[in-house]
Amino acid sequence: MLRRRIPFGFFIPLAILLAIALVPYIWILFASFKERVDLITAEPKWIFDPTVVNFVDIFERGFDTYLLNSLIIGFSSTALTVIVGTMAAYGFSRFRIPAGNHLFFFILATRLGPPVAYALPMYLIFNWLGLVNTHFAVILAHSTFNLVLVVWMMRSFFDDVPRAVEEAAYLDGCGHFRVFWTIALPMAYPGLVAVSIFVLIFSWNELLFSLILTGGETRTLPVMIPSLVLHTGTLWGQVAAASILQSIPVLIFIFFIQKKLVQGLTFGAVKG
Amino acid sequence: MSSATTVHSASTKTFLWVCMGPVLVFLTIVAVAPLTLALVDSFRELSMTSLTKRGAFIGLDNYRDLIGTDSHFYGAILHTAVLMAIAVPLEFVFGLLIALWINRQFTGRRLVITIIMIPTMIAPVVVGMIWRFFLMPSFGVMTVYLNDLGLFEETTVFSQSLTAFGALVIIDIWEWTPFIMLIMLAGLSSMPRAPIEAATIDGATRWQILRHVQLPLLRPLIIIAVMLRAIDASKIFDTIYVLTGGGPGDATEVIASFAYRTNFLKWDLGYGAAICLVLAFASLVVAAIFYKIVSGRPAPSGAS
Repeated sequence: MLRRRIPFGFFIPLAILLAIALVPYIWILFASFKERVDLITAEPKWIFDPTVVNFVDIFERGFDTYLLNSLIIGFSSTALTVIVGTMAAYGFSRFRIPAGNHLFFFILATRLGPPVAYALPMYLIFNWLGLVNTHFAVILAHSTFNLVLVVWMMRSFFDDVPRAVEEAAYLDGCGHFRVFWTIALPMAYPGLVAVSIFVLIFSWNELLFSLILTGGETRTLPVMIPSLVLHTGTLWGQVAAASILQSIPVLIFIFFIQKKLVQGLTFGAVKG
Repeated sequence: MSSATTVHSASTKTFLWVCMGPVLVFLTIVAVAPLTLALVDSFRELSMTSLTKRGAFIGLDNYRDLIGTDSHFYGAILHTAVLMAIAVPLEFVFGLLIALWINRQFTGRRLVITIIMIPTMIAPVVVGMIWRFFLMPSFGVMTVYLNDLGLFEETTVFSQSLTAFGALVIIDIWEWTPFIMLIMLAGLSSMPRAPIEAATIDGATRWQILRHVQLPLLRPLIIIAVMLRAIDASKIFDTIYVLTGGGPGDATEVIASFAYRTNFLKWDLGYGAAICLVLAFASLVVAAIFYKIVSGRPAPSGAS
């Protein structure tokens, strides 16, 4: 430790920092509880009579349908990505796979390229298969996008599982499936939970693929929010209400998975 | 991978197919097949808006037009590059300074970090909307305060090229500085104490410790953080879609919005497919560089 006593001067810049991060968000939180007359004013109103009309109105505009779409797509793509990715990560971690490095690299490339480069090809193939505007198309798209995160993170978690236990199990006559299922997977379980949360958040927040591959009744929340910008003017109260409801689950999650946050944001390249 | 088992027995082979089979099938469906289809389409004159020209084979014409003469394409690359070149270094400097500042124990640290991470973790589309609301003409809270300072009284932030671009840079910095901070913080808090203590005993100043002890130890993390940020910045789409749509004119048109416009607003699919293939190829090159850097290094101070 360089210093044991924390000077009071530490907290003032910290307060400024927190204000910069938080004030824009607080402002939209306030807006979600404002009547239209309080939203569009010549002088910003920091004090006002709160109302829930915006929240009521977005539900009349189908917020619940889009919420359900986001949940279906989020959980399905998380399940798919985690199952496919975890199996592959275990393979990469434990075995020398023929051409494994090429495959590992290709998985990385799918994520590092601009999603828009994959958006049209996916649109073309889903259009051809008649799957545009279905949940299925977006589930596959989000899974592709998140696969690298699962493979890279789970591989680093499996690498951390001590091999001695597995080797003992092999000597006792266990097969690969049993070793994977009863030893490696439970030991990597905390990592698995964190990875799942990350995949869920990224799918939940994703705009581009949802924009292209959904429409009408299959739209997700990130597609709904900009659709409240109408030609006749933006419904700011509703935008604010939808934004707040969309982002609150994310805030709760980041508080609880903070230790794994840095690992998730860097594909497991950095450990917290 | 050092202690990896080589494939030998038949049961191991079966198990490996179970592990790797799903991912192979999956990648074929979602990456290989679509890219192949796009490759075929990129050799055709394919537009959803002009049925007469539908599907004529034109060889490499799309690529020749795109790489040879399309000033919008190069404009989009230039805008993306300028945005990266300004935003990413500033995000790094701010992120590092903030990490150095809060790298100590205090009550409420977890809550503080959660709050600082809000801009990075909420949906980019929400970030865009928040700032659109903030900077709304006449009535946005920021607009009102800027007007009080005598700025933007006659015009709006997003109606002029320079200020629109500047606003996007500032918003990007607001959104992503916490990302760099978090990585730097991970490096600083897992850093061995001994070298810093030794330097302190030798009478080194705070600056000397940073320059000669902490920064060299952080080096691998700095490379990862800046690379990931640069890669993500090159893909910026959501905030542009919400805030400017590429305008005014094409002042804030970036690679992703250019490709989006060509494909899904103009429905110029053959040309758009060529764009996608060029971008996918470029991403292979970037991925190769990233892979070499991340996997090729020994792992000091938290990097693996």
